[in-house]
Amino acid sequence: MATNRSGASQRPNGAPQTKVCQFKLVLLGESAVGKSSLVLRFVKGQFHEYQESTIGAAFLTQTVCLDDTTVKFEIWDTAGQERYHSLAPMYYRGAQAAIVVYDITNQGGAGVCGMRAIFTIELPTRDTFGRAKNWVKELQRQASPSIVIALAGNKSDLAAKRMVEFDEAQAYADENGLLFMETSAKTAMNVNDIFLAIANKLPKSEGAGGGSAAGARRLADGEQPRSSTCCK
Amino acid sequence: MRDNNEEKYIFAACTYFAKNHPGETCGSNGLPLTPSSISILGRAQRLLTIQHPNLCTYLDIIRGKHERIIVVTEVFGKSLEEWKSKFSFDEVINIGLQISEAMLFLHKQDIVHRTLADGNILVDSSGRVKLFNYGMYYMTGGGSDVPFPLGLPRYLSPETILNGGGPAADIWTFGIILLELCIGKLWQNLKPGPILRRILTLVHAANPAERIAREHDCFEAYKLVPDHLRNIIEKCLKIYPSERATFEELVEELSQANVKTLVDVKKPRGLMGCKLQYLYHWWQLTGGDIQAELKKNGLIKNSPPILSMPIAILLDGCTIGGKRGALFDRRIAKYSLDLLKTRLSHIPPQDFYPLMHERRRDYEAVALPKIIRERDTEYQFYRLLWFQRLLIGYPYTAQYIRAEAEIDIPPLVRGDVWAALLGVKGDIEEQYERIDKETPTPTDRQIDVDIPRCHQYCWLLCGSAGHRTLKRLLKAWLLTNPQYVYWQGLDSLTAPFLYLNFCNEARAFACLSAFVPKFLHKFFLKDNSAVIKEYLAKFWQMAAFHEPELATHLHEINFVPELFAIPWFLTMFSHVFPLHKIVHLWDALLVEGPALPLFMGVGILRQLRDTLLDSGFNECILLFSDLPEIDIGECVKDIVEIPMEVLLSEISPRISMSDFFSLTCQDKCCVVDIRSNLLYEKSCIEGSVNVPYSGVQLGQRDLRALGLHAHRALRDAVTHKNTIVIASAEDETAQLFSDYLVKCNVPRVCILYGGISALHSHVPSLFVVPIKKTGSK
Repeated sequence: MATNRSGASQRPNGAPQTKVCQFKLVLLGESAVGKSSLVLRFVKGQFHEYQESTIGAAFLTQTVCLDDTTVKFEIWDTAGQERYHSLAPMYYRGAQAAIVVYDITNQGGAGVCGMRAIFTIELPTRDTFGRAKNWVKELQRQASPSIVIALAGNKSDLAAKRMVEFDEAQAYADENGLLFMETSAKTAMNVNDIFLAIANKLPKSEGAGGGSAAGARRLADGEQPRSSTCCK
Repeated sequence: MRDNNEEKYIFAACTYFAKNHPGETCGSNGLPLTPSSISILGRAQRLLTIQHPNLCTYLDIIRGKHERIIVVTEVFGKSLEEWKSKFSFDEVINIGLQISEAMLFLHKQDIVHRTLADGNILVDSSGRVKLFNYGMYYMTGGGSDVPFPLGLPRYLSPETILNGGGPAADIWTFGIILLELCIGKLWQNLKPGPILRRILTLVHAANPAERIAREHDCFEAYKLVPDHLRNIIEKCLKIYPSERATFEELVEELSQANVKTLVDVKKPRGLMGCKLQYLYHWWQLTGGDIQAELKKNGLIKNSPPILSMPIAILLDGCTIGGKRGALFDRRIAKYSLDLLKTRLSHIPPQDFYPLMHERRRDYEAVALPKIIRERDTEYQFYRLLWFQRLLIGYPYTAQYIRAEAEIDIPPLVRGDVWAALLGVKGDIEEQYERIDKETPTPTDRQIDVDIPRCHQYCWLLCGSAGHRTLKRLLKAWLLTNPQYVYWQGLDSLTAPFLYLNFCNEARAFACLSAFVPKFLHKFFLKDNSAVIKEYLAKFWQMAAFHEPELATHLHEINFVPELFAIPWFLTMFSHVFPLHKIVHLWDALLVEGPALPLFMGVGILRQLRDTLLDSGFNECILLFSDLPEIDIGECVKDIVEIPMEVLLSEISPRISMSDFFSLTCQDKCCVVDIRSNLLYEKSCIEGSVNVPYSGVQLGQRDLRALGLHAHRALRDAVTHKNTIVIASAEDETAQLFSDYLVKCNVPRVCILYGGISALHSHVPSLFVVPIKKTGSK
């Protein structure tokens, strides 16, 4: 594993000066907001209308090239259903970046609940934006303090059915020091951009440790996350 | 049998195009609109289950290219349109009675015919009547999914023309048909427009039937119609739908008037006596091709694609021109069974009636892979008849069904067989009926977002009918199992049952209810982490037991099952594989029992073994995120070959005493005694090898270090695929030693439960005093 991670063997096109950094990134958010679709669009350039639900988590990797660095993302795409919440720490522990996703049409929020209100069923905060805020809170509390968090308002192609205003989300992001973009996995709008923005924001300090095998080990036996990131 | 021309054709097909969605292609949830053909397919499934002596059985609904729908149905005799001779009044009454009985049956099922016409009333030479393609209105959602109008103008009731009408419209049409049978065809040389106008003018008539007769200069003939028949016609042809008779009344009145009794046709024997659905299935297996015949008869025309392009497209997406056949093509293509008859001609007559007490046949085909067996006409012929026999006897034949299912399950009766294997019986409809499936619950939101992405490549499950039913099933299950909650994945788990019991919701539900406690006990608890952890631990032990090298490697790179195997077991692989694979996997699962998934998991690891051994953590997890082609047959085969009792003993690396005993009797194990020499020499299990634990260097991963004798014994055990049982005085050392053996890549290592002392107190006869050997350690 160690040799794999050395800059020399990872260099994709033999460019001599690039250094290679590996970052663990986790996607969080309510179910059906498009986490898997964002990853699929970013990694494979595909979009499936009927992207199946994620159980447990899925893992994918993708490399992006910045000016002088190659950044390899190890992406953990998590299950959105609240019940799978207990698994989440396993994935965000030791992550250097997180994308918290909500649905700008806020499906399941006011739309559906409003209709059901007549039945007076106590619904927890089911709106996807509210859930995203909870995730941000949890990450700020529990994840690595240096984690870079991005907020993605997905499904911007459905702007006609918008329930969460851009300005509202932007204000919230500014307040909490998050990167923010409205994305669309369907049209690919801002998908690469948000990952690039994260890659740019991540510290790419020389000689810092990090990477897949170590990340995985932490995952398994729950060591404390390492604070600093990266590679050579 | 074949000289009778009427019986030559058994089924027929007709075809039409479903409507294209104009303009917008996305629904409010951002997902594409369901194509009309899919909606039609979903609704039509119910028609496939309808059985009535006066209704032609629907056999298949096929979705072709470009929203084409092909309907395959039973065919019989000639249509009223084709009968040139006039019927006597007694015959008219008899035909009318049979039609009303069929219609009464449909109305009771809430199916409105709407397209009843002389062209789709079939009568054979003996006077038996069957309605043909009575489900057009139903399957097309009241005509909303097709671009053409439904029904022939002259049979439309006034309120239908004015864009309304319910079941009573069928009564009007029925009245017109009776009238036509008495006085001849109506409005024969008129175009649709004038016909509709004529019908609408009837609104002012006090007695529409009489008025129609006068219009046709047939008043005299109408007067000749016997009173009771004329009465019935007039009761049908009332302007106000509410004043019309119902089919219930009509059946009663017509049966009173009926004097003709039909000669009982002897049920045909042999091939023609088999269920129509089976015949159709076999016919397809012999190479029968519905579409080819339609093409030959010109019902499917291939025109250059350029011709189907619209002439203009408006800004809102509506298209002008380029439409293919605007009206419904009423022609049908008929199919004979000659192909199948020739194929099965060598089968002796007694084989059509297999007897329970007969010894089971051995087929040559058994050796072939399952997928090929499922395509073999003759094999499926024997299997289907045999299963039919067994299923009739269910639940008394449950054990036979299980024994047969071990070989394979014919796809056509898979739903029935699964239900039998799961022990579904009793009045399941009644039980299902009683469950409240409608009241909203907080879980609805999650179910609503999950269903539109659950196995959506399947045409049945992706339509609105499929979505609705799946939701009801999930809600019903959650309501009847208050101790459990909805975990994502439950939708995938329910899908195979719905897929196989699409028109039998109650049975799908009963199967699911029986399946979960048997295979996923406690998996859907609100806090299921302990259950899942335990299951995954078992899985990991199994992996070490069968694939020590792989397990060691995965362990070293920290590739733990929590990262990839939760969806496997939580959904019994239904979230991981497509439906056509799941059915084969579950065939084995239902027969073999709850231990199978663990073996399946190991089977998958084994198939990917070489790749996994060469891969690091990232590559491994990527491999599982995007699971490559897995051969289910191969996975299942490995398992099924292991006898059941061995299978059970292998679940736990701790072998129970009884399992150990049975293994010893079969000479299928090699016992490694790791106590000290001294204890071993006092008494030991016969045939065991002594490797004192204190002398083992755990760091050295080479069996030769254990000494010549032990090395040879272990090597022999590995080659003979024997189980290696570690016997010790205390559990801890046994555990460490088994780990050591696993790291040395020794497969099938387990620990004797309770150790030597427990065995000694239970089966002292196994113990002997070892013969002193010189040279062995």
